Amino acid sequence: MAVYKRTYKGYSGPLTPTWSRFLILPRYSYSRLFQSKFLILFQVACMIFPIGCAGFIYLSHNLSFLKSFNVQAGNFLDVNGNFFLYFCNFQAAMAYLMTAFVGPSLVSPDLVNNALPLYFCRPFSRTEYVAGKMSVLMFLLSMITWVPGLILFAIQSSLAGWEWTMANLWIAEAILLAMLVWCTILSLIAMAISAWVRWKVAAGALILGVFFAGAGFGAAINAVMRTKYGTLIDLAQVNFIVWSPLFHHDAASGVALSDAWMALAGACAICLWLLSKKVRAFEVIR
Amino acid sequence: MMTLWWAQIVAVIRLEMKKTFFAKRGLWVYLLAAAPVLIWAGHSINMMMIRDHQRDVATEHPLATETLESIQHGMSRADVEEKLGPPYSRRMVRTRRQDRAWLNYTDGESNYTFMFEDGELRGISKRQIYKCSIPQDSLIFATVFQFFYLRLAIFFGCVGVFMNLFRGELIDKSLHYYLLAPMRREVLLVGKYLAGLITTVVIFTTSTALQLWTMWLHFDRAAIDEFLRGPGWHQVAAYLGVTALACLGYGSVFLAAGLLFRNPIIPAATVLLWESANLFLPAALKKISVIFYLQSLCPVVAPPDKEMAAPLLLLVSSAEPTPPFLAITGLVVLTIAVLIAASFRARKLEINYGTE
Amino acid sequence: MSLPPPIEESLIVFENVSRFYGEVLGVNRVTLSIPPGITSLVGPNGSGKTTLMNLMTGLVRPTRGAIKILGIPPDDPERLFRLLGYSTQFDSFPKGLTGFQFVYSFLRLFGTTHSECEALAWKSIERVNLVEAANRKVAGYSKGMRQRIKLAQSIAHDPRVLVLDEPLNGLDPLVRAETISLFRELAAEGRHVIVSSHILHEVDMISDQVILLSNGYVVAEGKIQGVRSEISDHPMQVLIRCNRPGALASKVFEQDSVVEARIHADGGGLLVKTRDPDRFYRLLNHIAMNGIEIESVAPADDNVNSVYEYLIGAEESTK
Repeated sequence: MAVYKRTYKGYSGPLTPTWSRFLILPRYSYSRLFQSKFLILFQVACMIFPIGCAGFIYLSHNLSFLKSFNVQAGNFLDVNGNFFLYFCNFQAAMAYLMTAFVGPSLVSPDLVNNALPLYFCRPFSRTEYVAGKMSVLMFLLSMITWVPGLILFAIQSSLAGWEWTMANLWIAEAILLAMLVWCTILSLIAMAISAWVRWKVAAGALILGVFFAGAGFGAAINAVMRTKYGTLIDLAQVNFIVWSPLFHHDAASGVALSDAWMALAGACAICLWLLSKKVRAFEVIR
Repeated sequence: MMTLWWAQIVAVIRLEMKKTFFAKRGLWVYLLAAAPVLIWAGHSINMMMIRDHQRDVATEHPLATETLESIQHGMSRADVEEKLGPPYSRRMVRTRRQDRAWLNYTDGESNYTFMFEDGELRGISKRQIYKCSIPQDSLIFATVFQFFYLRLAIFFGCVGVFMNLFRGELIDKSLHYYLLAPMRREVLLVGKYLAGLITTVVIFTTSTALQLWTMWLHFDRAAIDEFLRGPGWHQVAAYLGVTALACLGYGSVFLAAGLLFRNPIIPAATVLLWESANLFLPAALKKISVIFYLQSLCPVVAPPDKEMAAPLLLLVSSAEPTPPFLAITGLVVLTIAVLIAASFRARKLEINYGTE
Repeated sequence: MSLPPPIEESLIVFENVSRFYGEVLGVNRVTLSIPPGITSLVGPNGSGKTTLMNLMTGLVRPTRGAIKILGIPPDDPERLFRLLGYSTQFDSFPKGLTGFQFVYSFLRLFGTTHSECEALAWKSIERVNLVEAANRKVAGYSKGMRQRIKLAQSIAHDPRVLVLDEPLNGLDPLVRAETISLFRELAAEGRHVIVSSHILHEVDMISDQVILLSNGYVVAEGKIQGVRSEISDHPMQVLIRCNRPGALASKVFEQDSVVEARIHADGGGLLVKTRDPDRFYRLLNHIAMNGIEIESVAPADDNVNSVYEYLIGAEESTK
């Protein structure tokens, strides 16, 4: 029987910009993630320390309030690079915990449920897929790291005045760069582990384990080899070494700054390589 | 009946071996066990290279310790070179304001670095090259073994292997094949536990043995023989025994956790935090942990971390170590009790993969 | 001469069995006695077929009631699974095993020797025509091959009771026919073969009895003709092939029990709906002796499809 009539016509309307298509992934990811009450509560809990720090900044500019309680302030209430470094350390730890909770659900479910061929049989590249998934975590982590950090800086600037701001603008740069580095490394590690470990629970444990195990074996290398370079596999410590000069703080680790940056770059490269091996439209079983 | 149960246990072990011991997904456990071996091997190779290099240098530029000790501050570079001869290595830095030079000499045991400013000796640095001894390395081994190998490598290895036995099968939707066999669930539990135990004991005791061997690799034969004649073999046996007992104890806990909890990582994280905090717990609470008994059985007491922050050092508490007989019995009794509790749960296990 | 086994040891018995998943009903108040032969479980998705099979095999426990398979309760796996084999609906396998290793390894759990297991494993793999692929990893099999290796694993120990959850899923027509003939072979040996399927014409073809399920309840059970005859809400449809359907139609309307008569589209037959089939058949005898040549008389809705439609289809359409 011949087909005489073709009534089907493809879509001929306007197309969305190509560069923005990766944002489809975060849209659906957020709708799923924010169904979790635990995540919402955790995000709220992550704001408690910044609010406390804001209170601290306020107190440091209102010594007369303290004098009414006969409190000797001295240097205790100095809001300086060290203050913001401690803030960043604390929020970085919270970001780490959030990564362990959110990270496993990024790529694992797509692998387990054979969704990757569905993505890649459309005009959607692997780079866009990775960018889309990574943006989910980067956004969530940014909300609890450099965003409140810069807000605190802005509060301090408004209370301390223009001179203080100009003299300490480097702190804002340090907060932004330090936290972006940390968020990037966390996101890449979470995605790489999520791509290789199908069981979400195990992926979460591995994300936690990578940092614990790195710290442990780094310390073991230092003890056995009588060196300081075992620290390079302790990513949390490496990060601290990278941050310290930004905040004009002496890390006193014995490890060169350039080596620390190389270690971070190496970790990112390994994560990207792991992702490139797993994020594919097909899987060969021999 | 016992023959049948034993045949079934062996069949379960054989099946699990294919999936755990010889599978790619178990590779990370091997890496976890191999990491400390590589560290000790790297250390030994490094020490051997340093020792050989220094001996070569001392042969080519022979100098007595007394001659090197006779060099005083204020001497000129020419005088020093005349007295000691050419150094085996030198470094020069010339700036507009001053000339600096560093000359390195050795007597085969220590490195002497003489620092000159504008041709005058300003600084003398002496560093012992080869400061390893078996007792010193044994102390470092004890620290690495108790604080990192037991608490991290064996701990996470056991988490991965034992939790996968039931919970992993449920996630993979393959547990029902076992439950559809004419086998008591208790027999299945024992079979899986033994499979996990054999895997972890073989991997981690081999790693312990290799660590000890690579640690001693760079020492003289005579020093090793003397050590073995002394406390050596006892330490080897103790460390291997502690490794096996760690697998026994942690294995039963994580097997039970995999059966009892849908998300077994929460109890694993709880156990990890509890064991990590063991150093700071009061004596009574210390005893409610696997690591306390394992540390009691270790032949060398690991010193506290010198780089620990002072406030934390204040919190460290000690308790009387448990006698070995009690420690071993306690761990075995704990293992049996946990497995019995797990078997009650295994009997009631239902297959409902949709909710996993 | 040995006495035959007690009747309950040849039956699969459910006594008032219910199973709830929290507030969701799995099956409710199921009472069944399943004899040897091929029994099909038929019902829409979520009707409780898999729950019933899982209850039978001890993979889930009943909230209420008791189950006995050939006199053995499901919580006695040591005795039960020597007699029972179950091919589940789950398309998942232990990782890293070949087809042969999969069948062989789980046979070893029976406590049998290596040589015996090897022989039994190859025998069951041959029965499902998977010899050539037996040494390949199951993870690399097609859907149909995975289905067949599951079947091989469930029959390897020669069970008396075979429970098969959608065993024909993913099989091509040739393999389906071979598998169906295997079920018939097994049933002819006096075994219980319990099959769940959505393919109603195949259920019709192979089943000795059916159990219809809907929303966790047993709606009907027994031989299909017996079930049909008990559905009085829907008049029986009979197709009569004859040379003068028009004349026949005027004759059959003389009977009160006939509610509808429709001439077949090809003009060579009459489709009659009657509330009293026995009386109708007697009338037909009388008509045949009075000049109308009747070629054939056959029930038109005496099959699973129609019974399903009458009993379950109406319920589904009112949802």
